[in-house]
Amino acid sequence: MITLFNYMVAHASQIWSLTVEHIEMTAIAVGISILIGVPLGILISYVKKLDKPVIGAANVVQAIPSMALLGLGIPLLGIGVLPAIVMVIIYSLLPIIKNTYTGISGIDPQMVEAAYGIGLTKGQVLKKVKLPMALPIIMAGVRISAVTAVGLMTMAAFIGAGGLGYLVFSGIRTVNNYQILAGAIPACILALLVDFLMSLIEKLVTPISLQKQFGISKQALKKSRKREKIVLIVAGVLICTLIVTGIVGSIQKQQKTITIGSKDFTEQLILCNLYADVIEDQTDVNVIRKENLGGTQVCYEALKKGDIDMYVDYTGTLYCDLLGHNSVSNMSKVYNTCKSELSSKYNIALLKQCNFNNTYTLSTTKAIAKKYNLKSISDLKNYDSQLKLGCTLEFQNRGDCMPALKKLYNMNFKKVVGIDGSPRYTALKNNEVQVVDAFATDGMLMKYNLVVLKDTDHMFPPYYAVPCIRQSTLNKYPELQKAINSLSPYLTDKVMMKLNYEVDEEGKEPKDVAKEFLQSKGLI
Amino acid sequence: MIKFQEVTKEFKGNVVLDKISMDIRDGELTVLIGPSGCGKTTTLKMINRLLPTSGGEIVIDDEPIESLDKVELRRRMGYVIQQGGLFPHMTIRQNIEIIEELENKPKEEIMQNTLDLMKMVDMDPDEFLDRYPPELSGGQQQRIGVIRALANDPEIILLDEPFSALDPITRSSLQDELVELHAKVGKTMIFVTHDMDEAIKIADRICIMKDGHILQFDTPEEILRNPADDFVASFVGLNRIWDSPEFIKVEDFMIKNPVTCTVDVAASKCITRMRDHHIDTLLVVDDDDRLLGIIGRKALFKTKNPLVQAEKIMYPVKFFAHPTDSIVDVLKMIEEEDISNVPVIDDDDRVVGLLTNSNLVSTLSKQFLTDETADEEVN
Repeated sequence: MITLFNYMVAHASQIWSLTVEHIEMTAIAVGISILIGVPLGILISYVKKLDKPVIGAANVVQAIPSMALLGLGIPLLGIGVLPAIVMVIIYSLLPIIKNTYTGISGIDPQMVEAAYGIGLTKGQVLKKVKLPMALPIIMAGVRISAVTAVGLMTMAAFIGAGGLGYLVFSGIRTVNNYQILAGAIPACILALLVDFLMSLIEKLVTPISLQKQFGISKQALKKSRKREKIVLIVAGVLICTLIVTGIVGSIQKQQKTITIGSKDFTEQLILCNLYADVIEDQTDVNVIRKENLGGTQVCYEALKKGDIDMYVDYTGTLYCDLLGHNSVSNMSKVYNTCKSELSSKYNIALLKQCNFNNTYTLSTTKAIAKKYNLKSISDLKNYDSQLKLGCTLEFQNRGDCMPALKKLYNMNFKKVVGIDGSPRYTALKNNEVQVVDAFATDGMLMKYNLVVLKDTDHMFPPYYAVPCIRQSTLNKYPELQKAINSLSPYLTDKVMMKLNYEVDEEGKEPKDVAKEFLQSKGLI
Repeated sequence: MIKFQEVTKEFKGNVVLDKISMDIRDGELTVLIGPSGCGKTTTLKMINRLLPTSGGEIVIDDEPIESLDKVELRRRMGYVIQQGGLFPHMTIRQNIEIIEELENKPKEEIMQNTLDLMKMVDMDPDEFLDRYPPELSGGQQQRIGVIRALANDPEIILLDEPFSALDPITRSSLQDELVELHAKVGKTMIFVTHDMDEAIKIADRICIMKDGHILQFDTPEEILRNPADDFVASFVGLNRIWDSPEFIKVEDFMIKNPVTCTVDVAASKCITRMRDHHIDTLLVVDDDDRLLGIIGRKALFKTKNPLVQAEKIMYPVKFFAHPTDSIVDVLKMIEEEDISNVPVIDDDDRVVGLLTNSNLVSTLSKQFLTDETADEEVN
């Protein structure tokens, strides 16, 4: 408890700025979904033929998993704040449309007829009678949307839009419970706060005549309304300032910047910071760091679309997954093919590759290695029916991983459990699985003192880290090439594993680890 | 004047109104009444074009309403429905002033007008104007509904069963107030109800409708006394007239063409005539049927000389009635003066009828007899 508190105090400024980001994005998203949802709800209450298709469509959209929606949206919207907001808008629409529709259709038709009968125009009936009477119900819908939106917005970190989800995601990656809580607790408080504020609005828009409470006089009710109004005005002003400063801030960031992305595991975060620091030190280009993007697909699409200018990928990934070749073990062939194809097909330049090969490995604990006499991957074959494999979802699906394992060794594990990130080491420690996949440079290998099974048959292709950058960015800022290439040779297997270890085990920030390393090597 | 000219209304092939024509006069309170489904509410809603007509024309002051702007037309009319159709989210003041506000009338004028209207229905502005409709009783809401209809000073006010949800006592007092109000403001009012008592109480004219037709359009008195057909009679209720005795006239009771004699008829002849007709009173008239006196049975029997002329034994008439006198007044006179016979004479003193104790009793008792039979039928 105290350590959590200490962690939060130590990272207060980061938590605060992420919270502000979170509020900004949520407020904008909910605001826009009100602007879309309420008119749509009104429309379908007038044109009854449209109600089923519109509500049906909103229902269907809401049934799509948010991750899938974000993933599908990348080619269209790229990554970052925009798609995150669009996703939250889409999810927020349904309650708003539905409640607007229900609120307006539920008004006593006699009342509406009376309004027309005394000589109100269509617009006046809507403005003076229908909307005010439906407002409490509409607000109830907005309240549901807003509270859900706060929670949903944590997904924004998946595509690099920041927000409190950033802490949750990186906390999960690095088994840092304090970090998870530092993201989750403010998000939770935020949701409760939003719920509270929305309940005040809901109360205020309910005609005073319709919310009589026992034992409370009208005067007292009016007084408490005044207080509630003040609370809301203050909250409203605060949110507006946040949004305005956010927009102003983002406008100021416009000159001479590039964006470097990273996937969502420790090594990528460190690499992102390493290259960013070097670039900022050696050139006058500013770097926006979009860390913790959802995965290869997210980064790659974002790069193609131009939402990020650069990220570091691995040759094997590029060769097999993105370019669709069959895996080979010749390092230079892989690099050269990737370089020429990416350049010609997508205008993406590959710079000098790093000195470490973060290939897939299979690893296990010392005890198990000893028990089954495991030294290389091929040794697994003898005991595969007794062993459970815990591996990432990517490992299960990549052509050069699980399928290759089956093809080459006819390997059939007792069970294959899909676990992402660090939790699979925990599973290994608890003997829930006996073998895990790991990256060769993973600091966890060091932390848990694991045995890496040798790839004697070169089953896994080479996975040398290589900076991928948009050719257009490189043309614009040619000085980048030199800066980036100056760093790459320093990054060896050993160095990388150590840096990873410092983050994963010693709980340091990737940012700090990167800086310390660069300083110690005199690169900045 | 609102003129209906062969107005027809169809709903999905059903004829709801079949070529109805009528003239609603300015300044009168006209009640549309009939069993449910007769088309009375439809008729009302066509006047302010909440419903379109399917055929024919409605003309207000020589202008066909189709040629007028819908909203403008409605603002020239007040519209009152159950509970007044007040908007629960607006204060009483906002409810009353809504149309005036939309018409951009000067603020002071609106406020003064609201105060005047509140006074008109005896409601304290300070107490009520800032409250909301649900805080008011049904009767109070209905009063606000009526003055909201008056607020924009319309020529016509349409009321669609405004009092039907109220308890009988409130309803009755609101009916009285409406009649008073109508007399005061002199607007044309069209009032839909299914309650005949209400109609008779407040209407200048009643339009009785059934199955999309107008059966009778007349004053309450005329409808009570001369129902156009059996349906009207039964709808009005055979004995409805007893609830409004002031509408019952002497001519409804009197024996028409009573037995008379002239002054020169002998006493013996008089006795024969009485015996033949089973009566105990003879009216003595001159050649022009003008009443000269009455001969009673007792006086006749006291006479020793059978040849004595009527002139000698008749006594002069002290009390008589006119055919259109209210029966209530005549009954009062009979009771006060302890008389048994009242001759009825017209404006020229000519005898047209006679009221006797026995025919009063038999006529009055009829209402109870028919009531009983009516009850039996219901049971």
